[in-house]
Amino acid sequence: MANTNIEGAPIRRRQDSALRVRLRRGGELLGLILSNPTTVFGLILIFGMLGMALFAPWLTQANTPDPYQMPRDWGALRMPPGTPGHPLGTTNTGGDVLYGVIWGSRTSLQLSIVVVGVTVVIGTAIGSIAGMVGGKVDEILMRIVDVFLSIPELIFALAIAAILGPSFTNIILSLCLVFWVKYARIMRAQIILVKQNDYVDAARVIGDSRLNIYFRDILPNAATPLVVQATLDMGAIVLIGATLSFIGLSESGIAEWGVLVSEGQAGIASGRWWASTFPGLMIFLWALAFNLLGDGLRDALDPRTESRR
Amino acid sequence: MSISKTDTTGAQTVAPATIASVRGLKVHFRSKAGRVHAVDGVDFDVRDGETLGLVGETGCGKSVTGRAFLRLLPVPPGILAGGSVMFRPQTSCGGCGGEGCAQCGGSGRRPTPCPTCRGQGCPDCQGTGAETLDLLKVSDKQMRGIRGDRIAMIFQDPGKALNPTLTIGEQLGEVFLQHRSVDLLEEAGIDSGESGFQAGALRRLAGQRDRRTDRMAAALWPPLRRRAQSVRQALDNRIAAALGETQIPNPRNIMRSYPHELSGGMRQRVMIAQALACDPDLIIADEPTTALDVTVQARILDLIGQLQAKRGSSVIYISHDLSVVRRICDRVAVMYAGRVVEIGETDQIFNDPRHPYTKGLLAAVPTTRTPRGKLAAIPGSVPELVDPKPSCRFADRCAQVHAACTASDPILSAVNPGHDVACFLEHPTSPKTEAAE
Amino acid sequence: MTDMSRLPTPEQASEAASGSVLSLRGISKHFPIRAGALQRVVGHVRAVDGVSFDIRPGETLGLVGESGCGKTTLGRLASGLLSPTSGGSYFNLDTAALSKLNAAYALPEDARAAALAPLEAAHGIATMPKAAQSRFRRNCQMVFQDSFSSLNPRHLVIDIVGRPLRVHKEASGEALTERVVELLEQVGLGRQHLYRYPHQFSGGQRQRISIARALALDPELIILDEPTSALDVSVQAQILNLLNDLQAERNLAYLFVTHDLSVVEHMADRIVTMYLGRVVEAGPTRTLFDAAAHPYTRALIAAKPDLAVDDPQVAKFAALDGSIPDPARPPRGCHFHTRCPVATPNCGWELDDIVRLLERSEDLFESLSDVSRHSDFAGELAFEDEGSAERLAQALRSDATPASMRSAMESLTVDGRTLRVRFQEVGEVQLSDRGPDHIAACVIKDA
Repeated sequence: MANTNIEGAPIRRRQDSALRVRLRRGGELLGLILSNPTTVFGLILIFGMLGMALFAPWLTQANTPDPYQMPRDWGALRMPPGTPGHPLGTTNTGGDVLYGVIWGSRTSLQLSIVVVGVTVVIGTAIGSIAGMVGGKVDEILMRIVDVFLSIPELIFALAIAAILGPSFTNIILSLCLVFWVKYARIMRAQIILVKQNDYVDAARVIGDSRLNIYFRDILPNAATPLVVQATLDMGAIVLIGATLSFIGLSESGIAEWGVLVSEGQAGIASGRWWASTFPGLMIFLWALAFNLLGDGLRDALDPRTESRR
Repeated sequence: MSISKTDTTGAQTVAPATIASVRGLKVHFRSKAGRVHAVDGVDFDVRDGETLGLVGETGCGKSVTGRAFLRLLPVPPGILAGGSVMFRPQTSCGGCGGEGCAQCGGSGRRPTPCPTCRGQGCPDCQGTGAETLDLLKVSDKQMRGIRGDRIAMIFQDPGKALNPTLTIGEQLGEVFLQHRSVDLLEEAGIDSGESGFQAGALRRLAGQRDRRTDRMAAALWPPLRRRAQSVRQALDNRIAAALGETQIPNPRNIMRSYPHELSGGMRQRVMIAQALACDPDLIIADEPTTALDVTVQARILDLIGQLQAKRGSSVIYISHDLSVVRRICDRVAVMYAGRVVEIGETDQIFNDPRHPYTKGLLAAVPTTRTPRGKLAAIPGSVPELVDPKPSCRFADRCAQVHAACTASDPILSAVNPGHDVACFLEHPTSPKTEAAE
Repeated sequence: MTDMSRLPTPEQASEAASGSVLSLRGISKHFPIRAGALQRVVGHVRAVDGVSFDIRPGETLGLVGESGCGKTTLGRLASGLLSPTSGGSYFNLDTAALSKLNAAYALPEDARAAALAPLEAAHGIATMPKAAQSRFRRNCQMVFQDSFSSLNPRHLVIDIVGRPLRVHKEASGEALTERVVELLEQVGLGRQHLYRYPHQFSGGQRQRISIARALALDPELIILDEPTSALDVSVQAQILNLLNDLQAERNLAYLFVTHDLSVVEHMADRIVTMYLGRVVEAGPTRTLFDAAAHPYTRALIAAKPDLAVDDPQVAKFAALDGSIPDPARPPRGCHFHTRCPVATPNCGWELDDIVRLLERSEDLFESLSDVSRHSDFAGELAFEDEGSAERLAQALRSDATPASMRSAMESLTVDGRTLRVRFQEVGEVQLSDRGPDHIAACVIKDA
């Protein structure tokens, strides 16, 4: 052939492999994420709180029989921070604030992982079906989504939780019923966008099956905004969950930050700030951490930054 | 900068042959990999009234060079790293009032006299008596006065260069309001000596400096409203005339339509009308026909040629299409990797190309005569311009590369009168001047 | 057609051609236009409207036309990416089958179905058995214009080029890697490029990767959709040379879709010209460039800037007036008559042509209040005042109106504020033989 190796680069002796290249690429991406100090700060916060959740039984003596119920020290009601045995003080009902803060991280983690996990799966499935099939199916699914979106998330979740009755499980359930809608919409829009790329047509010309094309070409290229949104929602869901708990849609006495803030708020006026402040601070940090990480991911995964490399 | 039509009385201007000269222009971009030398020492002159073609492949820096004239560069990554773009604005000839006479060589224009010496010749203007501005150094305010007025730009994609939310009339009106409000007021019968709130309000309205009270008064107070309408009328007349000149049928109808309602060729005509609205001295056309079909392209090229001949403006025609450049340009500068490698009259470039890159480019275009499958392709691709070493940029793709090429930079020097080439094959003894810099 | 030693003359080609790789017959693609809150279909854009041609083994068929003429849609129809609204495409016909197909299409419509049935079952893209369909998929590949968008940014070169082999279970593991290296070497890349992502390559190199992917299954036909229009000339030359070399080695047929006349002249054995969804002319490249029968082809060729012409003054700009009409309501008769420099009264002048004229004039269009049609060729235009109707009538009788349009008017009467007009009725212009292997759809026969 007239024009052979046009790059003119010497052939590399060291054998490259697909795995090695993918790892290197993953490493580059990680480096890009970690090059942003605010993202790193968010990650540190997240790892701190994950550590807290993981080592909860070692950090405090687990309550029996149900560790997620606040232990009651009826002899030490409304004690301020610094009280021996209760470093962050106690609540009106003698609950240890430190215990609530530590075990509350487990509750929050459970809440956000279950809700985000379930809704991302449902949203991806419904959004994908709408985007891939199109036509009437798309029309019907999107009208359903529109109905859901016409009611504010919080109010909707509140109504469902109120109907189901006050319990933490019902809060999770109600949030699951509400949050998938957003993902379905993002996914559908992304799929319609990605489908227009010629590489999808190229795969069809090769004769690959629709399912294969979906999993190999469309889904991976459509997923980025969903990942970012899900990360942001890890924080947002804890906020909403706390709100629902705060207005009393959860069982009282449970080690959950929203419940603690709710139970402690009555005392703020009389100077007992600690029972609300520490769990409130945790909610704030949790939401902040995931927001920082989400923003960092968005910047790092942005296709424009990808092509610049 | 003055754009006034007077002030040429008693001025003895030596008409310089060049309207703009670029010297050692360097534009760099910051990137992750390093400093990209997108334009790296470009020299050329634009002669008065000529069409200069700037040709080269993607990434050769031709568009960036064109944009540097108007400082339209993305500022955070882009750095004007050196050099100068000297520009001599022109004014309507005092002898004939723009009709064309012996004094101005029939073009109806002559250089604006130097403000320091009133055209007598002084160190400021290097004795030419003509006002000379370094476009890279003038103030932002002055640059705004030059853009669209003395130097205009026609962009490649008229779909992107026009605002989709404004009608064609509104967008074209902008140019006149920006640069020609005095004329508009005059046409509407508002005397420049008139004072008072009415005249003030009208002046502010016509100059796009209107306050809310002005607009309210113009809407509610009948006498002012009438006069504002007559300004509006004058503006509409100007817009329609500008559109009509680009052979747009039914300009008044087009004025009311939005860009998306027009075809690509029509949109490009609107762009040309906008560029020519203020009768600029220099038009920078950046691939104006690339997005168009061949049949439409032919029309647009014809149009640009006609309008330019009529007005005597100079044009820098940026294109990758050699055949188009050959058709419409008087002189051609061939760019490669941020440098001008060859510049000369169109005939010289196309019939007697000297630089191996120019030769390669010409041979790569399929023509009726090339046998199938035997196109003379240039191997390889355009080099990355990240922190380049001092060597000929074309060395790694050149068939005639030798030791000198990789050792130092060739500089542009004449091979024939008016024909300069930067190649060691033509100038084997080229000193290493660049390396010393 | 310049290299006479390698390429057969048109006569030889039509004799020696052993059938066709792909035959399109009366293929159409209409896209619905939806409007209103209920998205009701209010009309159709006839992107491709009754197109027929054959692609012969080993030849390059150029498909040219302006943007919006339907050439890209046709490329996608041919590759099976789009399914046609009507008409059929037939794959892998030998000489006998091809003549049967032509015979069937020569029959009147009611008898055609029966004659076509066996051909449909064996060769029809939509109707043939699964195994044959899979064979078609392997034998008809495509290269796209935009090399950025046609390669999945998350896949490595080995995955992209090896994918067809994986899908059709041709190779796996070490064998697959070797096949991919072989393919890369054929397109001028090499083993060192196996494990790289598309964004690490230049435009020309990415197009080479696309070509390697198209070659993987050893196809007989590759549809090239503007493969070089995003590339610089020096790189375009590399790719065109590569395509030629590959064709010579593998006896590939190309359907080369492009708007660039210089490229198509260089590459194609035969050319099909399209305008507003229809074929207006088809014939051997040299015939078309030297003696095109359709004025649109002539205009396209004349507008093509050519470096080979020494004196730039010789190459006069040949430009067309006006823009392409709305494909949702194409002109009657010959679609091209609205822009045609040599139009005759028989070209299909109609009521809409008056409306098109009106759009160009300032005040008349404003005062037009109603158009009522009796047919496409006759109707009444109502104006707000009598003066306008009269002025239009005068304009229609004057030199401002093309002479051919004036003579096509059978009657033109002003009645107060309405203007009655009737044009002579004209049928659609059919493609007719103009020489060996050369057809054109123009009412002027002896051009």
